[in-house]
Amino acid sequence: MNTDHEFFLMQLADSFFPSGMFGMSNGLESLVKHQRIRNDKDVTSFIERQIEFQLVPCDCMIFLAAINAIENKNIEELVEIDNRFYTMRLIKEVRNASVRSGSQILNCVIQMASDKKENIIAKQFQKKILSNKTPGTHPVCYAMAANLFGIPPESGIRMMLYSFSQNIIAAAIRLGIIDHISGQKILTLLSVKINSISKNIEKESLDNIWQLTPLTDIFQMIHEHDSSKMFIT
Amino acid sequence: MSKNRKIPKVGIGGPVGSGKTRLIERIVPVLIEKGYRCCIISNDVISKEDAERMQRVLSTELKVMPENMIIGIATGGCPHTAIREDPTINLAVIDEIEKKDPSLDLIIIESGGDNVMTTFSPALADYFIYIVDVAGGDKYPRKGGLGIESSDLLVINKIDLASHVGADISIMKRDAQKIREGKPFVFVNCQTGEGIEYVAENIIKSILFDKKTIAKKDRIR
Repeated sequence: MNTDHEFFLMQLADSFFPSGMFGMSNGLESLVKHQRIRNDKDVTSFIERQIEFQLVPCDCMIFLAAINAIENKNIEELVEIDNRFYTMRLIKEVRNASVRSGSQILNCVIQMASDKKENIIAKQFQKKILSNKTPGTHPVCYAMAANLFGIPPESGIRMMLYSFSQNIIAAAIRLGIIDHISGQKILTLLSVKINSISKNIEKESLDNIWQLTPLTDIFQMIHEHDSSKMFIT
Repeated sequence: MSKNRKIPKVGIGGPVGSGKTRLIERIVPVLIEKGYRCCIISNDVISKEDAERMQRVLSTELKVMPENMIIGIATGGCPHTAIREDPTINLAVIDEIEKKDPSLDLIIIESGGDNVMTTFSPALADYFIYIVDVAGGDKYPRKGGLGIESSDLLVINKIDLASHVGADISIMKRDAQKIREGKPFVFVNCQTGEGIEYVAENIIKSILFDKKTIAKKDRIR
């Protein structure tokens, strides 16, 4: 079994990878401020809920659909997937963050993989972003990165869920509601769920993609209007 | 990422309260007066306070630039990360600005208040100004740090306070000369405007490639 992709998996999932995610709390900051999330248990269940009702039914499905379109070199389908995800982001702040992160990830990986033949479709997609034909959202650009570095879909899903979880945990530590040991314990606890999802997840058609996190959405909207905040989302 | 014209970028970093925002409020009118159009990105650790203040001063009061040319970014509590290790969001905003108004002459990026090890990613800033103030003590330049040592221009602010806080300007000058090994530094007073012309002219000379002479009266003291 060729495991060369594992290096790139670590590289892309590393918080050192420049994705801009360190500046986002995905609603956590507002929920903490309004005392809806207070401790490690709350943080764990928040991540689990977001994975179950946002990431798996929506972000991961977009990622898998995008991988499929990239493999088929179907740029028009990729644009449709990207626009579909963009319109599903209800909160402007979250929508903008996804696009800013996505387009910069794409730019970075295109430069990292300048010698790879897979770079052609990545560059075509970047041209579409530059000409305002498509926004360049985070899961679609992440799929492009996974494809460029030969990361299989199962590992790509694991990478997405891990990155999301560690990002929330890092935000929780910075917000002062958990310590660094609790953060690692939460990640370890989540590994069972994340590994299981990664192994068993199946692609859905675009029309079957959904998301349901109304409480987080409401607090993200409140966050948009907060005068004092540490995080972008 | 943008294939539009790349606009020159100045990064301004320094500790909390050293006068980064005030310095920008002072140099922008000078640059605009000389015919350069600017945009400001303000990274702030816990709010958009600095961006809103600059909008009030530069747009509402002085009317020298439109409000939408002053953009605030929250940095997730990591000001140095947002300008160095992972400048992604700043770069994305710059892409948007370059796409929206490629005729701009300059983008000024203010970092969130940080420590003496602040530096800007070369991908983010073409010219780096580091600002400290005399209230931190006359030991500041001597202690060094990436910002003090490697910045393109070191600005030492609030010189009017030196006698009140027991800071000896001549010691700061001696140590700055030694530690910066010939790179420029300037003493300023952002309240009165002393030294501001020198900062503006250095920006123009260094990255806007205007060969105008720096006013002699504002040279390093």
